[in-house]
Amino acid sequence: MKKIGVVRFPGSNCDRDVFQYVQDHQYQAEYLWHLDQFNIHDYEGIILPGGFSYGDYLRAGALSARSPVMKSVADFAQKGRPVLGICNGFQVLVETHILPGALVQNSGLKFIDGWVNLKFENQSTFWAQKESQKNIRLPIAHGEGRFYAPQAELEKIEDCGQVWLRYESNPNGSLNDIAGVLNRTKNVAGLMPHPERAYADWMGGIDGWSFL
Amino acid sequence: MKHKFGVKIMPREVILDTQGRAVEQTLKLNHLDVEMCRVGKYVELEIEGTADDARLKAEMIAKKVLHNPLIETYEVKGL
Amino acid sequence: MNQITHEGKLKHYRISQAEYEKICSMLGRPPEGVEWALFSALWSEHCSYKSSKIHLKKFGKTLNQTVVNAEGENAGVVDLGQGERVVFKMESHNHPSFIEPYQGAATGVGGILRDIFTMGARPIGLADYLCFGNIEADRMKTLVEGVVKGISGYGNSVGVPTVTGQTNFDPAYNKNILVNAMAVGLLRPNEKVSLSAAKGPGNCVVYVGAKTGKDGVHGAAMASESFDENSEAKKPNVQIGDPYFEKLLIESCFEVLQKNLVVAIQDMGAAGITSSSFEMSSKGQVGMMIQLDQVPVRDSSIQPEEILLSESQERMLLVCEPQKFSELSQVFEKWGLDAVIIGEVIAERKVKLYWKGHCLTSIDPDLLVEKAPVYERPYHAWKSQNQTEKIHSNLQPKDYISQLISYLGSTHGTARDYICSQYDQRVGLMTARGADHDVAILRLPDSKRGLGMTVGCRPSVMKCDAQLGGFDSVFYPALQMAAKGIKTLAITDCLNFGNPEKPEIMSEFVAAVEAIRDASLILDAPVVSGNVSFYNETLGQNIISTPATGLIGLRETVAQIPEDQFQKIGSQVYLLSSVSAKMLSPYFENKKSWIGKIEPQKTGQFIQKIQKLSLLTSVLSTQAVGRGGLGVSLARMCRPGFGFQSFIEMSVADLITETFYEVIFEVDHDAQHDFETKLKAENIDYKILGKVTERTFNLSQEIHVDLLRVNQAQNKGLGGFIENLA
Repeated sequence: MKKIGVVRFPGSNCDRDVFQYVQDHQYQAEYLWHLDQFNIHDYEGIILPGGFSYGDYLRAGALSARSPVMKSVADFAQKGRPVLGICNGFQVLVETHILPGALVQNSGLKFIDGWVNLKFENQSTFWAQKESQKNIRLPIAHGEGRFYAPQAELEKIEDCGQVWLRYESNPNGSLNDIAGVLNRTKNVAGLMPHPERAYADWMGGIDGWSFL
Repeated sequence: MKHKFGVKIMPREVILDTQGRAVEQTLKLNHLDVEMCRVGKYVELEIEGTADDARLKAEMIAKKVLHNPLIETYEVKGL
Repeated sequence: MNQITHEGKLKHYRISQAEYEKICSMLGRPPEGVEWALFSALWSEHCSYKSSKIHLKKFGKTLNQTVVNAEGENAGVVDLGQGERVVFKMESHNHPSFIEPYQGAATGVGGILRDIFTMGARPIGLADYLCFGNIEADRMKTLVEGVVKGISGYGNSVGVPTVTGQTNFDPAYNKNILVNAMAVGLLRPNEKVSLSAAKGPGNCVVYVGAKTGKDGVHGAAMASESFDENSEAKKPNVQIGDPYFEKLLIESCFEVLQKNLVVAIQDMGAAGITSSSFEMSSKGQVGMMIQLDQVPVRDSSIQPEEILLSESQERMLLVCEPQKFSELSQVFEKWGLDAVIIGEVIAERKVKLYWKGHCLTSIDPDLLVEKAPVYERPYHAWKSQNQTEKIHSNLQPKDYISQLISYLGSTHGTARDYICSQYDQRVGLMTARGADHDVAILRLPDSKRGLGMTVGCRPSVMKCDAQLGGFDSVFYPALQMAAKGIKTLAITDCLNFGNPEKPEIMSEFVAAVEAIRDASLILDAPVVSGNVSFYNETLGQNIISTPATGLIGLRETVAQIPEDQFQKIGSQVYLLSSVSAKMLSPYFENKKSWIGKIEPQKTGQFIQKIQKLSLLTSVLSTQAVGRGGLGVSLARMCRPGFGFQSFIEMSVADLITETFYEVIFEVDHDAQHDFETKLKAENIDYKILGKVTERTFNLSQEIHVDLLRVNQAQNKGLGGFIENLA
């Protein structure tokens, strides 16, 4: 069975949820501890789950980005292998500069929980491949999810087709309504919404299923 | 006349500094040994008026608004 | 000791002269040194329940065979069958939240979570129960914002969803807000309940978690005191919560429990290391030798008395076998936490506290725990209050409409949206119904059944009559659960009252406790845990007595749960009734009176029938008639594109009456005949109120309004109500 690594930082709190999500997709799931590097050939893909890694102190994702496991993740991403960052995992990828931009405090200055409508702008080489789903609905839950990049960088992100997902109605003040971005080679993707919280009817939606 | 002030806000000594503790722990995990780490906030103010009035106003703002006396201390410096 | 210092000492340690004399006679000598602090903490109202204990024993009668292992622990374990068990409890953090709302509420959440995971149960859901003053009152906006941010900041970060709750506003809480939090924990089929009774002389006593600082020293004594204007001087007591540390503590504790490395475990809550060491020893009928100088401290100037009383958060005390310590400490080290041996379990029934080689005290733990004073505070038998012959309203139809619209957009009508949008409702992958619904439903991962969760107690009813309000604190939330097909299984409570030394307060307390017990017996849903918060008064002004409750229940599946709002144009809207008492909604008529009588048996049967009916697939949506009466309940069922057209003429009085009890059912038009046959077979009184329509909200010929206005009023709340005040 193909294996997906789920990175576990102290303070991750969607790690168990993502683990379940991966298993329900008939992949083998394995935790990757923040202090350990890993063999990049052992995994089909890597997911960085949501939560408050290292308490989100200093800046969300900032402390996690300096941990040993991220050296392996960077290496893995560099080789063109698939990496997905969800919510806090997205913040970590941004802090590690594997993905562009920054994620700052919501414009409303409050944590927000709710459902959002999203549309795909560009395709990842691995994640959420189902082309038919242009418009989807997923839950969000974050306090620091406002996507920011300086004007020049933002233009580059747009021009290079690196915008992955956009909000239909912007909940947090993200520039250009950006909810998710890709790296240049599109094997690495990050998003603020939680696909792992919407993959069964009883959860309130199923659009998250096709992300893996 | 405009006057600039810097306000440094730190967790009170006796109060647990959760953020400082987490940063210190992480630095140590990454073999960047530090003896101690505390995290606070820094605010800059620009105030119009005479030097004395501006100073008083800055002090008042820091005292009443910028810091929470239950958990923080503050220090105002002219810039 | 001369007279002045003696009295000063009693005051400082909040020990009465009579209690002092009791201590002297038990010890055979006056207390010395740290013993003052020990008695002060463990004999405080907060730790000893000295004013409430004799009444709380009445809940013992409610226990049934679904409750396992309740013996001696903080909370009973409810057996759901199929190997799944639930632990749940509710606790108050009123005083600390009034002083520092963010930290007060955050540490309240932290504390209740530790109570749950210390029993080996993973916390799966949180609920809040909040009572604020008038939103325009002094500091109230700051308090609301701070409390909500505190709960969300802690719960979201630690990764436990806050899935339900209730918020009330009444000027009676202007100077004394209520912040109660409930946590529900799950034990999956292969997981064991962990206990707190210390066992095995020679075993290590291990301190785990955050270092001890001077936080909240004398906090337990403070919580048992009324506020007065000197509260400002109590500032240094603020405890700081760190959800990140709590998360590490949760994960590491589960790891050591699963590896079977722990003999006993308890969190250090109120009165910190004192309560945990003495209670663990007392429960285990053993003693403990503790080296206080081994306790990890944040600040080297800290004195032994401060260590004993510190309420630094995120700390646990556990007992382990010496040969397992190294494996245990490795687990904690992996999570970045200190685990330090600070003592050992001894056979002699004494807790011996040492400081740098000196023995500070050697004392029988039972003296502080089991033999704490118990008071029978004076009270009188309950006589119903504000009961009248009839109720009537002079409110005119036209005025009713405008009042209804303004109610829907008011603090009462909309605050909940503002609050629950700040709570993570889905972390943990169990939430089938979150805080945007009347009742929360979590899907149990093993059996796939639905675990219902809700809170209760309506201060407006309590204000009318404490006995009616006590029954209602159980019956109303149980009815709300029943309307979603959930059978209530067990109850917890958090009894917020004023000064128990005042007979009128104590009388309300006893009336409410007995009503909760009786309701619990009728529903066969035991009261498995609880908390009492007395002295909720400021400058002699008592709050409304507020016995908050938390209920859990079961539903066989999470599929086809009736919604809270109308689902289908053209479907029939029924009103199912079993009314024993009525009152005019205080939101429309400022009269404190009610008619009828309390009929617990009849209400219990009604709840049972509603629960069965709500499982029918033809039932599209349901709502128990509640705050504001039938008119508000119908309006709350409307949403854009789904309004209501009445078939009968409803008077203003009908619309603003809060009934005990009625439920609105929306039933698929095609199933109307079957549904009515069932109602007749079950012998349920019912009326067809009307049908679901597209555009109007029509209650009678005179009382109708465009659906858009109803929708707009309801939407106003989201994020609006607090900011608009500025």
